[in-house]
Amino acid sequence: MKTYSMKPAEVEKKWFLVDADGLVLGRMASIIANILRGKHKPSYTPHVDCGDNVIVINAEKVALTGKKKSDKVYFRHTGYPGGIKSETPEEIFAGKNPGKVVQKAVQRMVPSGSLGRTQLSNLKVYAGAEHPHDAQKPQELNIASMNNKNKRSS
Amino acid sequence: MARVKRGVTKHARHKKVVDRAKGARGRQKNTFRAAKQRVDKNLQYAYRDRRRKKRIFRGLWIQRINAASREHGMTYSQFVNGIKKAGIEIDRKVLADLAVREPLTFKALAEQAQAALL
Repeated sequence: MKTYSMKPAEVEKKWFLVDADGLVLGRMASIIANILRGKHKPSYTPHVDCGDNVIVINAEKVALTGKKKSDKVYFRHTGYPGGIKSETPEEIFAGKNPGKVVQKAVQRMVPSGSLGRTQLSNLKVYAGAEHPHDAQKPQELNIASMNNKNKRSS
Repeated sequence: MARVKRGVTKHARHKKVVDRAKGARGRQKNTFRAAKQRVDKNLQYAYRDRRRKKRIFRGLWIQRINAASREHGMTYSQFVNGIKKAGIEIDRKVLADLAVREPLTFKALAEQAQAALL
């Protein structure tokens, strides 16, 4: 008997819709990352992009616990001397791309290779409640009901 | 008797090695000296990875069983514990295959495992 190995043509990609309103960032991101990688499927194949697509709406309303909204710092370097830039989630939420917090959190939970980059492109993050993927008939994914720590009120 | 030149055998001997280094990077696929080192190292890797393969596949089966048992509301460890208590002796290789190819059979196993845990 040979272990099953999924072929790229056999992959069935579903669409999931996540409403990030009030969800704890890291908990949500780890669930999304697993779906993007396809680790929720019994036919998971490590070298094939076998995950599903995920749409995140209300990404600007995601919850950060503790003082992370003001104290967590995202660093990046431009490559020039003294070119280190930093941002806090507060600044990102106030800026022009508030969905970046969710995008970054998931990105850092997906392996950083060419397969990981492909899988990350199956993630669509929207700051508001609108999304243009109605034609794909996304299926609602209720992360809050999976564990009572997944959602914070306030 | 005809005179024997050594270039012919030497070339044949080198060609055997260089051909095995096909697909290697840079000089390693063309020159004998570099190709020989590459081929020797590749054989070492192949020896090591024939052993690793068994561990990697066991890991993959476990990941698949975990995904399948989570669909039935159990984690991997609960499922394996339950199936052991139920006296079912199917190894992980077959379990993973059932999870992919025969989801209904796997569901029946999951129900038995669940019942054995109570």
